[in-house]
Amino acid sequence: MLDSLIFVLGGTLAAATPLIYAAMGELVVEKSGVLNLSIEGMMATGAATGFVVATMSGSTVAGFAAAAAASMLLSFVFALLALGFLANQVAAGLAVGVLGLGVSVMVGKNYEGTTISPMADVNLGWLSEIPLIGPTLFSQDIMVYAGIFSVILISWMLNRSKLGRIIRAVGESPEAATAIGYPVILVRGLAVLFGGAMAGIGGAHLTLSYTPLWAEGLVAGRGWIVVALVVFGTWRAPRIAAGAYLFGAVSLIELFVQGLGFEIPSQLLSAAPYIITIIVLAVISRNPRVVRLNHPASLGLPYLRTR
Amino acid sequence: MSLFKNVIRWKSALALTGGLLVTLLSSSGAYAADPLKIGFIYPSPVGDVGWAYELDRGRQAIEAEFGDKVETVVVENIPEGPDAARIMNQMAADGAKMIMIGSFGYMNDGLKLAKRNPDIKLIHASGYKLADNMGNFQTRNYESAYIAGMAAGYVTKSNTIGMVAAYAIPEVVGIINAFTMGAQATNADVTMKVVWLNSWFDPSKAQESARSLIAQQSDVIFSIYQDTPSVVTVAEEEGVYVVNTSSDMSKYAPTKLLASMQISWADHFIEQTKAVLDGTFKGTAFWGGMADGAVSMAGMSADLNPEQRAAVDAKVAEITAGSFHPFTGPIVDQDGKEMIAAGETISDGDLLGIDWLVKGVETKLPK
Repeated sequence: MLDSLIFVLGGTLAAATPLIYAAMGELVVEKSGVLNLSIEGMMATGAATGFVVATMSGSTVAGFAAAAAASMLLSFVFALLALGFLANQVAAGLAVGVLGLGVSVMVGKNYEGTTISPMADVNLGWLSEIPLIGPTLFSQDIMVYAGIFSVILISWMLNRSKLGRIIRAVGESPEAATAIGYPVILVRGLAVLFGGAMAGIGGAHLTLSYTPLWAEGLVAGRGWIVVALVVFGTWRAPRIAAGAYLFGAVSLIELFVQGLGFEIPSQLLSAAPYIITIIVLAVISRNPRVVRLNHPASLGLPYLRTR
Repeated sequence: MSLFKNVIRWKSALALTGGLLVTLLSSSGAYAADPLKIGFIYPSPVGDVGWAYELDRGRQAIEAEFGDKVETVVVENIPEGPDAARIMNQMAADGAKMIMIGSFGYMNDGLKLAKRNPDIKLIHASGYKLADNMGNFQTRNYESAYIAGMAAGYVTKSNTIGMVAAYAIPEVVGIINAFTMGAQATNADVTMKVVWLNSWFDPSKAQESARSLIAQQSDVIFSIYQDTPSVVTVAEEEGVYVVNTSSDMSKYAPTKLLASMQISWADHFIEQTKAVLDGTFKGTAFWGGMADGAVSMAGMSADLNPEQRAAVDAKVAEITAGSFHPFTGPIVDQDGKEMIAAGETISDGDLLGIDWLVKGVETKLPK
């Protein structure tokens, strides 16, 4: 029984981490009024680039840095289309997403099916020795903790800092933001680049820690879950993070329950993480006034400065 | 206006000469002894292990066998659907006279191409539709699964074996049953747990499934049709034995690989190519097992003691000789109902459509 608890608790943190990074990035992007649907492709590009660079250099740090840079480059293409040429954001996001999947295949071509030794787990001394919570909560790799920290940081940044106010102003009413003197396109562009870097880091966590190997299609739809988490988490960092952990936990419990041999159709169990996460997030966020308050009013609308 | 007309005339003239030139060139080429052009289409990248890798080893065997007499062309990573149809038609247009289509879902497009071009021979992996110029091929993986199961029965201490499988298709169900019966033959107390991924490709989920099975006391993990070493690496990391399908994965689990259920297309591909070269090709359904060299054991663990190893090898010899069939009765299903009577052996047709699990498997079939 203890083994099982350790498996679910410890696994949840690791499973949710790639989602957390990408979702925090997308949250900032959407708060600035831009809808970037290319997360799946950006995560894949980050996953492949991070894996290849870490394999070649032997350095995980270099892997994460390269992953962030590669996905940022991809998000720059999106920014150019959506913000520069005012292309439809949905279409541009989908196109760049497909491009990203293609780039990941190209980058990872010679590394298909190869493995890498996973990132080392931190040792927090006596904390890691505590039964149950020691091996689960206090012996993960450093990026898992950095992911939790990023939730706190981004939540604070968006709600309490001046930078956050500017981003929100740009996402609510670009006209008003322009009138006060904020460079709307620049702010949105930087937000998109930040979102790209975060998606890349999330992807790299998949291939460098969570599933330490590269194979085409490894991201397997996690980028789309991120898009859903941001929306159903009503653009609030703690709720999005809670959704990601819930999703991670249910997807592990699902596998676990299958092994126990209950007579529940496995198809239903496989769908459970999606269903439960959406229901829970929808129920806790059912207050329409709060949803309207958090929903960036200009989300997805192209903005052209007219004067 | 007249200028425009002239341009058009020029263009068509150019196109005509161009076309003529191509015809001339290609027909002049036909006088030389052309190698047989063979196209290969794989559904996934070739990589280091797995399905496409094994198909490609078959292609290499053809090249090694026939040398200058053949020329092979490979297109990998082609999704089933219009892309596959386009690629195989392109291969035909480029002069391929034999095409290997390496995925179940290429079947209908392949059949259309075969009907349209009687002079092009096709061989299709894992399908069931035949034509005079289109054959198919599969492996009897249940044979190697039975052997691997025997080994698993020997080494398990917890008497719990975990399996990670994609979907409950008959092929997979047959493998699970054979593996279970093999394990029961060497260890009467084993029980089997299965996790269905309900996804053809998700290495992360496959790894988590393996971890969940290990957390539930499984000390042997069976990785069924996972094209990546995902499950195998987890087993090595967690220190439990692992069995996998398709390729030898011992390099990913040097201490914990119990056995790999190797498949090999070399003999069949060479035979088919020879038939095409001799003009005797006829589309047949090939279901190759140990006797045909299509299925074998690889990477058998040195942890089996000499007696166990001898028992395993003896069973391999019996299966190869055709004196033992893993699906020989009495076999009862999970509910205790007798499915195959004592002394009887399942027919190939029933085995190809098998939809019940044997007693000893805890997990129910998803329906």
